[in-house]
Amino acid sequence: MRLNGSEAKRQRVPVSSRSCAADKKADELTVADLPKKEIHFPAGLLGFPDCQRFKLERFKPGDGSESPFFVLSAVDQELSFPVIHPASIALNYPLPVAVNRELLSALGAQSEQELIPLLIVTVRDKLEEMTVNLQGPLVINPASSCGMQLVLDDFPLRHPLLINL
Amino acid sequence: MLILSRRPGESLTIGDDIVITVVAVSGNQIRLGISAPREVRVLRQEIYKAIQEENQAAANVLDSERKLEDAFKRFRSETPKGSSE
Repeated sequence: MRLNGSEAKRQRVPVSSRSCAADKKADELTVADLPKKEIHFPAGLLGFPDCQRFKLERFKPGDGSESPFFVLSAVDQELSFPVIHPASIALNYPLPVAVNRELLSALGAQSEQELIPLLIVTVRDKLEEMTVNLQGPLVINPASSCGMQLVLDDFPLRHPLLINL
Repeated sequence: MLILSRRPGESLTIGDDIVITVVAVSGNQIRLGISAPREVRVLRQEIYKAIQEENQAAANVLDSERKLEDAFKRFRSETPKGSSE
């Protein structure tokens, strides 16, 4: 019998904002490991079940500098999402406790440390209203180039982007 | 919509491999047990809808490149140069 997400993971760590050298380093390591080739989402994204093949590219600002944003775009449809790694916005985001064994095997991973989380950014007209979705993060296994959208009941759907950015 | 009556302890089957059991009823709350293959996602509907709508709001935003660029510039301007914090 299946337990719902929130019941299965009692010992979750609260989301907190912080910024330290260790996080920065983790960010660089994991972001560098993101797959360069096509990423397969067997279940699609919620609301887009038929969209399974994506590519991930770093968002390049006009001045050519490095930005923390990536764009996840569907290979065979007109569909794209801006995404960001939680550490890029100094977010302590405790993904590992939410990842169970069934999910790991669906992504072809042995441990949650092999997965890279990415947060979907909702771009809105005012900068202050832009948010990241902590309730429905994407996780990607770079080894298998597979990904899926998780559902974490206890996390906010809209977390402000700029207080952390 | 198909409507069935079930008592606590009774189940119903959907297809070949999904079983939903009424575990307990107390007041206006019902506890359900769900057995399903791991590739079948079981979610509270309000959460499913909220994430679906947020995905739709995030997808293909008009002029999102310029807005992302603005957010990025603001990020850089608010981060003191040379700060290790």
